[in-house]
Amino acid sequence: MFGLLTLILARNPDHVVPALAVLLAPLIAVHPFVVADKADLRTLYAVLPVPHRTVVLGSYAWAVAGFLGTVGAGAGLAALLARAEGVPLHGSDLVTLLGLSWVLFAVNIGVQFPLLIRFGYARISVLGTVLPLALVMVAVVRLHLSFPTLQHWLPLLCAAGPVVLAASAILAARLPGPRA
Amino acid sequence: MTGDLAFALRGVGSAVGGGFALRDVSFELPAGYVMGLIGANGAGKTTTIRCLLGMRGIETGEIELLGHRMPGPVALRQDVGVVFDRTYLVGDWRLAEVERTLRPFYDRWDGTRYRELLDEFGLDLRARVKDLSRGMAMKLMIAVALSHRARLLVLDEPTSGLDPVARSELVGIIGDFLLDEGHSVLFSTHITSDLDRIGDYVTLIHDGRVVRTGPKDEILAAYRVVRGGPDDLSGLVGVELIGVRRTSSGAEALVRTEEAGLLGSGVLVEAPTLEEIAVPAAVDAADTAAGTAAEPPARGERVNAVVRMTQLHLRTVAPYRTLGLWCSGC
Repeated sequence: MFGLLTLILARNPDHVVPALAVLLAPLIAVHPFVVADKADLRTLYAVLPVPHRTVVLGSYAWAVAGFLGTVGAGAGLAALLARAEGVPLHGSDLVTLLGLSWVLFAVNIGVQFPLLIRFGYARISVLGTVLPLALVMVAVVRLHLSFPTLQHWLPLLCAAGPVVLAASAILAARLPGPRA
Repeated sequence: MTGDLAFALRGVGSAVGGGFALRDVSFELPAGYVMGLIGANGAGKTTTIRCLLGMRGIETGEIELLGHRMPGPVALRQDVGVVFDRTYLVGDWRLAEVERTLRPFYDRWDGTRYRELLDEFGLDLRARVKDLSRGMAMKLMIAVALSHRARLLVLDEPTSGLDPVARSELVGIIGDFLLDEGHSVLFSTHITSDLDRIGDYVTLIHDGRVVRTGPKDEILAAYRVVRGGPDDLSGLVGVELIGVRRTSSGAEALVRTEEAGLLGSGVLVEAPTLEEIAVPAAVDAADTAAGTAAEPPARGERVNAVVRMTQLHLRTVAPYRTLGLWCSGC
């Protein structure tokens, strides 16, 4: 949230949407796991006549919906900010940053969710947060990725997002939940 | 599959860490009856229930639930109402939200029944789950279980921490549930008096093993409690005393019913309660597990179980400390 406020205070509306998507969407995504740990929802899921697979897919659906909602809210906020500041929105930059936000989000959720589903939030929250970031950083360094390079590969990367999420969901649905 | 069983566990073993939480657990309940699962804290009651409900994997044996071998179809959960010793609903939910949230999952959810039950239990639809007392939360869980027309009610330590009035109310609620002959109840507790009113079958579990299982009346009829003066239970011939307890004013033990006639007129012989049977049975189970039962007291000899009780004290008395087991030399 500090980073988000910094970006807003920097008065650059182009950065508001990706900042929200990168910073806020993952928090929204993991919220069900936080509540599940706090309220023992895993027991509720086990008691309700609902398959484990449905619960898992629901978690992914919630995460994607959270991302889209965040992007929508961010777009509105960016438009308001641009109007208030009297500066134009740079569409191409915005699309690029948004695309990168989507890729980061997909990698983050794709890696983090199977761990959360298997071990629960309380046991895996730190590793679940650090591991995706570490993977991205390693990829950036090892592949010598730069902003222009990423812009070039962006369509492919964006298309890979759903594939990563689908593969992650299939894996997560096969995993048992944490043992009571 | 046996259609007229509410459930059956056959040779069930479940591992935890490097060891077994349950070993060769076998018992079954015919549909339409109440079974009490009795055991001290940590005996394996909750683990057994979680295995039964498919919430925990098993390494050996098989489980049958309402005619389905587990893991059964997810739809089977429509027929099972589950009440654990603490609520698994979100604390911030109001009771009206509980219904709105759970209703879509159950084909036979009866909203009218839910509201009637809340009203009967004195629960306010506007109250939040986290603000309910333990007794009220228990009633809420039962209201949920009864509102989706479950056929089998599984209650894990529902009376633990409840005051006597709330416990009595709960037993009454279960009694009402049993008015339908197709309804069955598995009720785990370490408060055996809860089962005196409603229990049809009893399973005693100790250290992850079933010590005794069967119809409650048969188990109760198999034993008698004998009470007498400090020396009245010494030097008896042909009688095995189980779980002798001595105080400065008298002695008390359990005997097999067929041996009670040998006691003579100097002692008082009474029908036991489940609690009076459960503790010695657990002690005997620990005895057997330790191998000290290889040489049981010979019939016809003077039997004094006190020494054996002393050996077992450290292993077995702790869970039953409140019952004041006596041992010599402690």
